[in-house]
Amino acid sequence: MKKVIVSVIGHDRPGIIAVVSDELFISGCNIEDVSQTLLQTEFAGMFIASIPDSIETGELIRRLDERLGPMGLSSLVREMDPAGVWEAPATEPFVITTLGPDRLGLVAGITELLARFGVNIASLKAVFRGGDNPRSNIMIYEVDIPSALDQNQFREALYERGRELDLEISLQHRDIFEAIHRI
Amino acid sequence: MLSDREVISTLEMLRHEHLDVRTVTLGISLFDCASDDIGRFTANVREKICRIASDLVGVCDQVAVRYGIPIVNKRIAVSPIAVAACSMNTGRMVDAAVTLDNAAREVGVDFIGGFTALVEKGFTSGDRALIEAIPEALASTERVCSSVNVASTRAGINMDAVYLMGKTIKRAAELTSDRDGVGCAKLCVFANIPEDIPFMAGAYLGVGEPDPVVNVGVSGPGVVKMALDRARAANPGLDLGELSEIIKHTSFKVTRVGELIGREVARLLGVTFGVVDLSLAPTPNVGDSVGEIFQSLGLSHIGVPGSTAALAMINDAVKKGGAFASSYVGGLSGAFIPVSEDLNIAESARKGFLTIEKLEAMTSVCSVGLDMVALAGDTSAETLAAIIADEMAIGVINRKTTAARLIPVPGKKAGEKAFFGGLLGEASIISARGENGSSNFIRLGGRIPAPVQSMTN
Repeated sequence: MKKVIVSVIGHDRPGIIAVVSDELFISGCNIEDVSQTLLQTEFAGMFIASIPDSIETGELIRRLDERLGPMGLSSLVREMDPAGVWEAPATEPFVITTLGPDRLGLVAGITELLARFGVNIASLKAVFRGGDNPRSNIMIYEVDIPSALDQNQFREALYERGRELDLEISLQHRDIFEAIHRI
Repeated sequence: MLSDREVISTLEMLRHEHLDVRTVTLGISLFDCASDDIGRFTANVREKICRIASDLVGVCDQVAVRYGIPIVNKRIAVSPIAVAACSMNTGRMVDAAVTLDNAAREVGVDFIGGFTALVEKGFTSGDRALIEAIPEALASTERVCSSVNVASTRAGINMDAVYLMGKTIKRAAELTSDRDGVGCAKLCVFANIPEDIPFMAGAYLGVGEPDPVVNVGVSGPGVVKMALDRARAANPGLDLGELSEIIKHTSFKVTRVGELIGREVARLLGVTFGVVDLSLAPTPNVGDSVGEIFQSLGLSHIGVPGSTAALAMINDAVKKGGAFASSYVGGLSGAFIPVSEDLNIAESARKGFLTIEKLEAMTSVCSVGLDMVALAGDTSAETLAAIIADEMAIGVINRKTTAARLIPVPGKKAGEKAFFGGLLGEASIISARGENGSSNFIRLGGRIPAPVQSMTN
């Protein structure tokens, strides 16, 4: 039994998950994990499924293309290889928010710094708050900061990058949000 | 994953609504410093405070940065000096106060509380020496705060102590007359003083408390006001029951912040976590005022008719939200209405909406009492004592804490302004009517017996 990861993207509409899961079912695959999200008009879904030895991965790709192609959806299927998986170090969860005028290179500027410090992004969301107010663009990054990292140095570098990008930056331990809003 | 709303509303509270932890107060027992030799006692005190509290400010700053929540004040509360130094005379008591002041300066805290005596039923020699030392102690130190408990539901009201405190307040004002009597701003007279108050000037470490211990005072009048304003803007039809629910929710959030920060500071310092004090404590900043909450509830000014009912509702909702958020609630836990420390309340007093009588009435439904009330400099010790006695009676009969922090501003009259500076703010001097009408009553002295409410066993 091997595992595959299937990703599907395209215009959102009812029935996408139904078609993918039906095809996986017919092919004898067991869905182990699934997640989907919507960005504006677009759907993106990911499925991790175990696939019986009796069916080749190439055959599964062909079957999915056959069903999804006519719907204008693209799919990508990859066999999951346990070798080479990134092993996360011990980390602490923090939340970074950036607030400021939209312009090219904001996400690139922040994420380059995160990558350089080995900070992993667990969730990233753009929240365009304030409607037409171009100054009110907010990005929320939930990140895992390695415990071994010099947090002061990282914080300083992040704030400095914020100044360069004309962004107000906050970096707070995730527990504060949990404490305030969740019972 | 966090929701957008959870992240954004937290940021709003921090950026625009003055969400903070008002004080982290480290309680340190001085009983193990006791000695009949003043040199030895003060050396022990200095050594212990500097040893236990050396990391307090650094740890608080570190935790504040980590969670993005400002910790506005870092303070120390010590055992009542009248007990810890009970063999000292008045002069030695002043030496003890100076030692506390120096230790506070050395570890970088802005106030240290515990120049305290508990005399609700009567005096020991240490109590008398300490109370006599208060005026000079407050005049010759910068950071020392003093409190005297003169009444309790169990003991009644020690009217000899009440009169003595009237005289002590007068003397403390005289000795700091060049600074509008600021000595009195660091002196609280209490009924039913809690043993774990983190807020000044009443903070001290009670006899039954652990050593050392971290107690936290949360704040958040600005957060409460903005939550009410937002809710009313979104739905102008909200009634008082629904608005009280909003205060409750907000108090829950603010308290959770306090508990998280307090526990983290305690953990890093390696000391016990004590309590969260759920008080709504204002500062002299716009948007950080208890008085403004009254306006958000439809009253033109704090002090107009309806204010006592509004305060009762606010105070109760704060407690209900806070009690759910933390199992270890203590200290004063209620709304403060300090006249000088809250711009809006000071303004209401200046305009005459807030009189001393109305303040007194309001203190029957909230924590603390006549807090930072500036009076004319020629107010007699007897009148001050009578005002204190009234305030103590409210506490004793209602089984709650009340306090009086009265400042007879030397050389100034009702209507003029007193300036205390910093967190203590400025206040319009309000008039206490009936001067000299209370002298004969106050001079009777003795102890008003404990009320029937005390017989609960």
